[in-house]
Amino acid sequence: MNDEKEGSVLVGILRRGYRTIFYENWPVMLGGLLIGIMSVITFAWARPWGVAGGLRNWGDWFFSLIGVYEKVPFSPLLSTNSILTFGLLWGAFGSALMSKQFSLRMAPPFELLKGAVGGILMGIGAAMAGGCNVGGFYTAVSALSFGGLAMMVGLLIGAYLGLRYLYWELEHLPGGTAGGDPGKTKEKGIDWISMEPYLGIVIFLAVIVAAGAYARQAYTRIGGLLLCGVAFGVIIQRTRFCFVRAFRDPFMTGEGDMVRAVSASIMISLLGFAALKWTGLRGEQVYVTQTFWFGSLVGGAVFGFGMLLAGGCGSGSVWRAGEGHVKLILAVICFSLSTSLFKALIKSSSGFTALIGKGVFLPDYLTYKWTLVILTLIFGAYYLAATWNEETDKFTVEM
Amino acid sequence: MTENISPDETLDCRGLSCPMPLLKTKKATSKMQSGQIIEILGTDPGTRNDLPAFARKSGHEYLGEKEDEGFIRFYMKIK
Repeated sequence: MNDEKEGSVLVGILRRGYRTIFYENWPVMLGGLLIGIMSVITFAWARPWGVAGGLRNWGDWFFSLIGVYEKVPFSPLLSTNSILTFGLLWGAFGSALMSKQFSLRMAPPFELLKGAVGGILMGIGAAMAGGCNVGGFYTAVSALSFGGLAMMVGLLIGAYLGLRYLYWELEHLPGGTAGGDPGKTKEKGIDWISMEPYLGIVIFLAVIVAAGAYARQAYTRIGGLLLCGVAFGVIIQRTRFCFVRAFRDPFMTGEGDMVRAVSASIMISLLGFAALKWTGLRGEQVYVTQTFWFGSLVGGAVFGFGMLLAGGCGSGSVWRAGEGHVKLILAVICFSLSTSLFKALIKSSSGFTALIGKGVFLPDYLTYKWTLVILTLIFGAYYLAATWNEETDKFTVEM
Repeated sequence: MTENISPDETLDCRGLSCPMPLLKTKKATSKMQSGQIIEILGTDPGTRNDLPAFARKSGHEYLGEKEDEGFIRFYMKIK
């Protein structure tokens, strides 16, 4: 075989690889498994994965800049919360470009309003629950915090009520959600869509350069967290991983795909977290937030309702914002402002702080062994219940 | 496959994002007759996954999609 032929074989392999990664949709279960693994790697590297903390940091920063807060918040460039969330946004943006799926998508005015209100409610819920669906639920359960399970119940209640609202809206306000020609005039001259993958490559190269720059300033951990955030962004955008669906679909269409993916993901993540905590490599109280039970449960319900209105949760709103959905960009902005304000409100009152709750680390009561057995059984049951519902539609709510 | 389809009903979901296109589809299909074809116009890339999954779950036949200027046309046959 001559060199030229070998070269063209290699080009063919690379082209197929690119298509597999950025053209074909990944199965959601693959997303669940990869997110579980990334969650453990992120915790082992520096700290657990979260999304709302970063949004709050941005809100804090904004309010301090316009003079509402006296205290100057941690710099968004050095806050680990901010870096993880920025990485998620950046990774989803790059991945959408590579897949030619980025486009500024305008929504009808009523949908924009729902995005804003949903964002505000999610901000309030996340402030109460000590995190969004990621920090307050996914990571909290992995961290063996009872608050994570309380938020799961709250999220289910909120998602159910939110779905009832959406059904009501379809019956009574059909004009509000009418679709239509977005009125985008097709730009002539430059074909932006076919340019997107090249811009995507620039975006990913920029991240590598940024991580290197952090390392040179002795902030290697932060640079690494940026890469972790980007990995979450790519995985989540490519699988269209959506925590909202894990709480909504069983009621809406009866599909169980996302419930199975989230359950499997949590089982991996919690085993990794338990290994790191049990062996003393990481602090036991990490991500055991002082929110059990009121904050987690009620915050979860408020958050759950908000995520149905917005059509995206903490991570979901951020990655869809990275894909250019104006409704979700608005939701992310409102989320970050409202969660900053509501957190400040909670902190300002000792009575409110006490009402939100205390931290409950499950192994303190059940031992590590039984905590793992029970959590695995709970998520195994959730997995099975969703699959059973797929066949029977027992939980599915008719319109 | 989607070249010569004449839909009985068209649902315009352009500009809407998940879950609104799916909910509107669910509502529209519940009022249609067996064998009829619905055409859904959409701009959310998520609809590409959601509609075939909905079809599998509900028993409707997903016929395919067609790119148009800045949006996608999806076709589904009611069971």
